Amino acid sequence: MTAARDDQLARLEHLLGRLLVGGVAVSAVCLAAGLAASMAAWPASDSILDVGLGVLMATPILRVVVSLVEYARQRDRVFTAATLAVLLVLGGTLYAAWRAVH
Amino acid sequence: MAAGATAGCLGALLGIGGGVFLVPFLNLVVGLPFLSAAGISLMTVIATSSAVSARTAGRQLINLRLGMVLEIATSAGGLAGGITVARLSDRALHVLFAVATAGVSGIMLTRLDRRNVILDRAVDPGPLGGRYFEAESGGDVTYRVRRLPVALFASFLAGSLSSLLGIGGGILKVPVLNAWCGVPMRAAAATSAFMIGVTAVAAAPIYYARGNIVPELAAAAVLGVLAGSRAGFRIGEGVRARGLKLLMALVLAGVSLSYLLR
Repeated sequence: MTAARDDQLARLEHLLGRLLVGGVAVSAVCLAAGLAASMAAWPASDSILDVGLGVLMATPILRVVVSLVEYARQRDRVFTAATLAVLLVLGGTLYAAWRAVH
Repeated sequence: MAAGATAGCLGALLGIGGGVFLVPFLNLVVGLPFLSAAGISLMTVIATSSAVSARTAGRQLINLRLGMVLEIATSAGGLAGGITVARLSDRALHVLFAVATAGVSGIMLTRLDRRNVILDRAVDPGPLGGRYFEAESGGDVTYRVRRLPVALFASFLAGSLSSLLGIGGGILKVPVLNAWCGVPMRAAAATSAFMIGVTAVAAAPIYYARGNIVPELAAAAVLGVLAGSRAGFRIGEGVRARGLKLLMALVLAGVSLSYLLR
């Protein structure tokens, strides 16, 4: 029983790990490009930087979403609920951010 | 950028976001307003967290379940802090932070040699405990989690402080996990490193929307931190748990002093 759970945990960890690496990589590339563009005084530099920061912020959020899906698949009620709770809080953050601009 | 690299290095070593160094640097040395420093630092926290936990993933050091449960409290604290930070006085925050880090440093120092690992493989870790291989102990180590309510409360505090001050909050989470909740140092560091990214993103979008973040500086800091954390991770492989705890306690003491003196 615990061995199976360990396996599932390991798989989830691997998936999350790859997601994180991907997110960071994309974000880093965008930020580097945006920084270079900024130094060269390209007008597009702002947008590129914004995308980079956006991807950076999206990475942990996606992390939580992926965990949610995985726990739901494993029919792990307690941790599905926990992950969902976190996602709700993050939803609150995004709402507050949206409100700050509008 | 160099500051980002140092912060990232230390962050990867200790399982904290490194924001505790970056914020004072941006605020005092570079002269940015506190909110800008905090906002940029939160971005680097996300970067460190993602980078470090991407690398520790797969070794079962990150206690995903415990982390997620605690994250409910932490991110709630982060959201609360993100909303209220614009209304609090700098001085109040500094003093609060100095006191908290001094206290935690003290706790860590008095518990330097306590070991939380149970070496018997047959012991059931319970729903929130974990098991992983540690070369230092010569085999798989198992641990159970104790005092969850304390951890939840501390996590909420950590989350609030995180968003108020622009730090990862791991600086409180790791000692709490380690000293009060029975989680061994490496697992605590890894779990915390994983968690702080989520906590930071509970507040970062709000900073971003308020226009606190200077994109070019944020980009430079993040890239610096990513480079630094690669270095820090390599160094961390050979360090023993006691050394990690001592380093952490000393770092906290230094941080506390620097804020008290402001």
